[in-house]
Amino acid sequence: MVSTKTALSALWLTLTCFVIFGCFILKNQVHDLERELSRINQNIAQDVKNIHVLKAEWGRLNTPERLRKLAMEHGSLNKIRAEQIINYSALPFENESSSIAVAKNGSKEYKKLVKQER
Amino acid sequence: MLSVSLSKKNPRSYELKPEEGVRLTEGLFEENYNTSAVQTTKARMPFAVAGFLAIYLLIAVRVFMVCLPGGIKISLPTDDFSEREIDVNAPISRADIVDRNGLMIATSLPTVNLYANPKKIQNPKDAAEKLAKIFPEIGYDNLYAKLTKERCSFSMIKHDLSPAKQAQVNALGIPALEFQESEKRVYLHNNLFAHVLGYTNVDNVGQAGIEKFMGDRLTKSAEPLKLTLDMGVQDTVHEELSKAMEKFQAVGAAAILMDVNTGEVISMVSLPDFNPNVEIPVGQKALFNFPTLGTYEPGSVFKTFNTALGLESGKVKVSDKFDATKPIVVQKRKISDFHGENRWLTVGEILIHSSNIGSVQLVSRVGREDQRKFLENLGFFERIKGLEISDSEKARPQFQSKKNWTDITMATVSYGHGISVTPMHVITAFSALMNGGIYHEPTLIKSDERRLSRRVLSERTSEQMRPLLRDVVLYGSGKKAEVPGYEVAGKTGTAEKAVKGGYAKKRVTNSFLSAFPASNPKYALLVVIDEPKGIKETWNFITSGWNAAPTAGKIIAAVAPQLGLKANFDIETQRAHVKAVQ
Repeated sequence: MVSTKTALSALWLTLTCFVIFGCFILKNQVHDLERELSRINQNIAQDVKNIHVLKAEWGRLNTPERLRKLAMEHGSLNKIRAEQIINYSALPFENESSSIAVAKNGSKEYKKLVKQER
Repeated sequence: MLSVSLSKKNPRSYELKPEEGVRLTEGLFEENYNTSAVQTTKARMPFAVAGFLAIYLLIAVRVFMVCLPGGIKISLPTDDFSEREIDVNAPISRADIVDRNGLMIATSLPTVNLYANPKKIQNPKDAAEKLAKIFPEIGYDNLYAKLTKERCSFSMIKHDLSPAKQAQVNALGIPALEFQESEKRVYLHNNLFAHVLGYTNVDNVGQAGIEKFMGDRLTKSAEPLKLTLDMGVQDTVHEELSKAMEKFQAVGAAAILMDVNTGEVISMVSLPDFNPNVEIPVGQKALFNFPTLGTYEPGSVFKTFNTALGLESGKVKVSDKFDATKPIVVQKRKISDFHGENRWLTVGEILIHSSNIGSVQLVSRVGREDQRKFLENLGFFERIKGLEISDSEKARPQFQSKKNWTDITMATVSYGHGISVTPMHVITAFSALMNGGIYHEPTLIKSDERRLSRRVLSERTSEQMRPLLRDVVLYGSGKKAEVPGYEVAGKTGTAEKAVKGGYAKKRVTNSFLSAFPASNPKYALLVVIDEPKGIKETWNFITSGWNAAPTAGKIIAAVAPQLGLKANFDIETQRAHVKAVQ
């Protein structure tokens, strides 16, 4: 009787100890994970900040004033003029060499051919 | 039943024996003793069980709390991991401002401020000397004063340190010097959006423009604020306007480009301007935003509204002719034309030749009451509404009260004198004239929300106005604004500046009000040049057709392709051009 009770008490005590120990381990692990999460968040925040600074830098490098200067210096590019944008049909094609392209600009034949094309 | 007796020889030892007269056998004594122990144990058992249960319950609750997500607060060491919430999506506290295409135009950059704790400083003289080498602009005396402030544990030394300067200060190893995380507002395009965006103070609080009006939105939401402005177009307008200002030695210039169908401001430039990244020129003209603050007598551009008034009233037809053979006298005041045609003029010719006499004749048919109502409906009698800047940056128009709106007021207002409005008033009302008669409140913020709009004139009047204004560019004072393929329609305006007791002859404010393409207007452009000078190229003329109109033409030629407008060339003209290029 006594030995059974002692064994039962011992079992309860052991179980309690296990649960306490398990709880402690769990808490420790959660603690570590929280630290890890915090560290990762901190790194992400820092990276996002760095990316933001790079975006600002990129925006600064793409100012129209700077691009214009660079285009003039290195690419001899000028601003597009209104008359440079034309209809596709206005381009002279190879097969037109015998008709429209050959026809004298402003001549009756030229006007007739243009009218036909329309 | 039992008695305890202490031994005389050894007081610490005692003997347990039955009391006298009670006879107990050894077995009986033992049995009685055991029964008593069991009873005691049984009585104690519930307490023990309760104790264990309490412990288990405590453990269960604790385990439950630990397992709950976020149900446990773990204090981390505060040296490297602070417990503050980290919002990884918002690296800055003030949102970016982007243009209509999402390109960044204003942002905040993380910086640090340097401050000192004078209570902790050991050798202020030495520290001030060392800091003066890093910050020569502050000076030794200033630094020493800051480091020796009495009864103070915080003394700001410098805002917004560069990383290099921060490293230099760190290298000094002075424990009393500390850094404070901060942000600096940066305007990526310097002057380009100065008047639209405004600026912030050292505490990142908006002081003018969008920064002031949208301050709450910028600090409460990390989402970038999208404007209606187009960076490329703004740059082109700014460049052309700066060139014009320099060429005509003007004291100022302004331009507004507006989408006539939505009221969205695509570009707004005011010159002279300032760089919000450096010190703000408080109290100087550069801070003045002419498009919204500068009230001026618009001059002949107002004839556009006068003509629309006539057509809308039904009392005037496009084919009607008006007597402009001689100057007209209203309330003893003689009104004449700048370049008098001295003949009868049609409605279209009144605009082409910018006839003051014709305009007065036209408005006389309508009457001053209807004129007032019409102008009021077009928003000329109140501060501009809708535009997202504070009221202090929007001027109130100046005009005669209803009581004082006499015949002479009616006459002068018909050609743009006797009333002062801002360029924003003019272009907003003009957009309504061009888009079919709907007045859209101007806006600087790109939004999908429906905006307030109202019909102010009939579609028919709007359709009639377009060719009339197109003729001004083809045959009238606006010839120099013509851009082949883009059908520019517009009206020039040269207004002498009002001075004490009259008007200054050689000081004018020139405007060119235009829309393109005339057959289906999409954009309206207003160019204002303040006090241009006559130059050799303009034969010393200072009228709008010589400076504001060609400037507008250059702007339209450059921005129309950027805005995705296809030039409406005749195919023959196009082919001729292709041939010429080949």
